[in-house]
Amino acid sequence: MELFRYSRSIYGGSNQLIGANWDLLPVFVGAAILFIILHALLSARAKRRQHGSP
Amino acid sequence: MDQATSANSQTATAASARISRHKALDRLYHWLMAICIFTLMATAFLPIIGIKFEWLDIHWMTGVALTVLVIFHIVRAIGWQDWRNMWIGFADLRDLWRNVAHLLGARKTPPLPGKYDAAQKLYHLGVAIVVLAVVGSGLLMLLKIDTPLWRRNPYLLSGDTWGIIYVVHGMGAMTIVAIVIIHLYFTLMPDSWYLLRAMIRGSISRKEYLQHHDTARWKA
Repeated sequence: MELFRYSRSIYGGSNQLIGANWDLLPVFVGAAILFIILHALLSARAKRRQHGSP
Repeated sequence: MDQATSANSQTATAASARISRHKALDRLYHWLMAICIFTLMATAFLPIIGIKFEWLDIHWMTGVALTVLVIFHIVRAIGWQDWRNMWIGFADLRDLWRNVAHLLGARKTPPLPGKYDAAQKLYHLGVAIVVLAVVGSGLLMLLKIDTPLWRRNPYLLSGDTWGIIYVVHGMGAMTIVAIVIIHLYFTLMPDSWYLLRAMIRGSISRKEYLQHHDTARWKA
């Protein structure tokens, strides 16, 4: 997946950087959701341990 | 009369039992910033995912409002608040390590923090960096649009420089989406409800203070 968006200059030559690739948005959302799932699982396990459950 | 005196005394005791956490001005700042961030996210990303509307005017005006709020917060934090509450020191790094150890099972209880815990301080630092980057790049992008206050001048910077500014703004905006999702998660966790109540009412109970905080590090 490309990190950036480019446009080709009308005068030719190299591609022009024009911004971040919006297709990355689901990656950012997914990373946040992954963090939340991981934290929720670990903290639930830690809480069980803290309260003496097996 | 005696009953009234007794009731007043009880009310006074109940009031003193509450610990002030956020002043009204700081709570107002927090909620105005939240409104700005959600408005900016909606006007930025809804058109990208296919919901088309006239987003630009709302977006830049809200961006200017957010800039004013951020400047207000910086001035207030330096001049009127104890900025050391948010400073990340050695004790915070140690707490962070102990929190990770607690989550991974190497430590039975998490450490008690001062007013803010290490994760909250790191979160604040991250938000500060990303929001400043997005606000800074956004202010430069205002040079590309006509407004009642100024005329556009897109030729002030080269095409390559504009590309970098757009990348900073876009990457920062997507990072803010992730940060907001994580912030909502921590806000809605039952253990953190007392902090949400404090951001609405301004105070926490003495019981919550003693239960969640190290009284030596946060002398309320």
